[in-house]
Amino acid sequence: MGSEEDKTRPITIEAKELSKRYGNFAALTKVSFEVRMGTVAAFLGPNGAGKSTTMRILTGFLSPTSGKAKVLGLDPTHAEQRRELACKLGYLPESGPLYREMTPFESLGFFADVRAVPKPLEAIERVVERCSIGEVLHKPIYKLSKGFRQRVGMAQALLHDPDVLILDEPTSGLDPLQIRDVRGLIRELGKDKTILLSTHILQEVDAIADEVIMVSEGRVVFTGTVAGLRGDSTLEKRFYALAEAAKELGEAKKKADEKKEVA
Amino acid sequence: MLDFKVVSAIFRKDMRVYLGNPTGYVFITLFIVVAQAVLILREEFFARGLADLATLNEWMSVILMIFVPALTMNAWADERRSGTDELLLTLPVRDGEVVLGKYLGILGMLTLSLLLTTIGQLSVLSVLGDPDKGLMFSTIAGYWLVGALFAAIGLMASMLTSNTTVAFILGVVGCLMLVLAGTLPWASGLVGVVLCTLVVMLVWYAARGTADWMGLVAAGSAALLGLLWLSRGIAMVTEQGEEAAAPSADGAVESSIGDRFSELFGSLSVTEHFTSFGEGVIRMGDVLYFAGGTALLLYLCAFLLGRRSW
Repeated sequence: MGSEEDKTRPITIEAKELSKRYGNFAALTKVSFEVRMGTVAAFLGPNGAGKSTTMRILTGFLSPTSGKAKVLGLDPTHAEQRRELACKLGYLPESGPLYREMTPFESLGFFADVRAVPKPLEAIERVVERCSIGEVLHKPIYKLSKGFRQRVGMAQALLHDPDVLILDEPTSGLDPLQIRDVRGLIRELGKDKTILLSTHILQEVDAIADEVIMVSEGRVVFTGTVAGLRGDSTLEKRFYALAEAAKELGEAKKKADEKKEVA
Repeated sequence: MLDFKVVSAIFRKDMRVYLGNPTGYVFITLFIVVAQAVLILREEFFARGLADLATLNEWMSVILMIFVPALTMNAWADERRSGTDELLLTLPVRDGEVVLGKYLGILGMLTLSLLLTTIGQLSVLSVLGDPDKGLMFSTIAGYWLVGALFAAIGLMASMLTSNTTVAFILGVVGCLMLVLAGTLPWASGLVGVVLCTLVVMLVWYAARGTADWMGLVAAGSAALLGLLWLSRGIAMVTEQGEEAAAPSADGAVESSIGDRFSELFGSLSVTEHFTSFGEGVIRMGDVLYFAGGTALLLYLCAFLLGRRSW
């Protein structure tokens, strides 16, 4: 994936044949990919493709049914390694959940306490400035707009200055101006951090990603650069073609499984 | 080992959440009003002519059985519903630290409510007479221990579902089992079976070598509760043997084996273990019952939390 120079950089995020099943439903099927240090990788796919499940496995919130994941060489399914990883990883879950009764300042103070951030007030000041949340710092989170809440979520992910950021749909629900700001922030952070962000927005991939991992129906259908995904067509056309192909493959496999069961 | 800075951060966060919205204050106020009303708005209170909490003692388990699950129903169910569990569990925390932090938050609210209730009751009793401070202390300590055990049941109920109403009902039913254990044979039997299952499960878990130190503490607590229970059982069987050897005047054995078993399972009753506190006596066996039961349930909470990754 990427240029020859990129391939000399160490692998930061690695998924090897990750599968996750919920009863008979396969959320992920043998998902494999690598993200190298200092890369902004877009985890692209339609809704329900398995993006959030993969991210939950990479952060240690879920365990895979089979397969291996490593982030910064640490296994997120191993309790102690997961804790070590959590110190070096910033994570923004889907829809940016936060403690609604707290103010952003109290919330960041709590995360700083749990993460044992040295000089917590300075760290809070730094992320408040970076995410532009100074004006709402002492308002309860339930009174904030979706955009500000998402920025508070970003601030908590950046609080401990992590080496790796995993962002699950960071621009979801934001207005165009807010989207521009968040994309600008991600581009800036991408200069010295490894970022894996999930999205289903093609413009986002084009605007900020160095590399793309496209998933559909729980399977990886493309890995490579944005230019590689586009080929001699448009991103949109390629996206639809790959998603359709994955859907057909999924349906064919389902029918074959049903036939096997009947037999 | 647990990092108590993390436990303390989660405890302070939860206390802030409880006291940061009207629900916390409504809980404390209602608790004080109900406890005060049950104590003094009854004929027996004045008929007895004693400045103590005896009229409240028989009802306190029931009050706590409803109020504590109301406090705990949001504890984990709300984190899960709002998605903050994902945020919390991807921080550098251990499952045990999360459980203990959340439990201490609940216990903090309960302690605050009991403290304020005690101040009110002590004021009323001091006006009406001269309350025995030692008796008051042991009774309040008993209330606190019952509440602490119920809080662990409620927290576990909250971890089983993301629906707060279901969490409340499960919590009340769990507490009710322990309250009824002393009075209804079927409830006594059910509690006994649950305890036996937990002991077997924890011993099996420890024997597989996968239990951490918390697991060993929980297995120890379960074994201790089991031993206390067994020692009582042996005493009963011996007593029954003596009774059988010396039948009553009409030649019949005074109580059947069924009754004895019911009595044996009934020894797991919260009410029975609270009685001595209400009489001003703090017995080690009763303290161990509450502390062991709470430790066991908290371990099960951490165990349930760990299951998210399976």
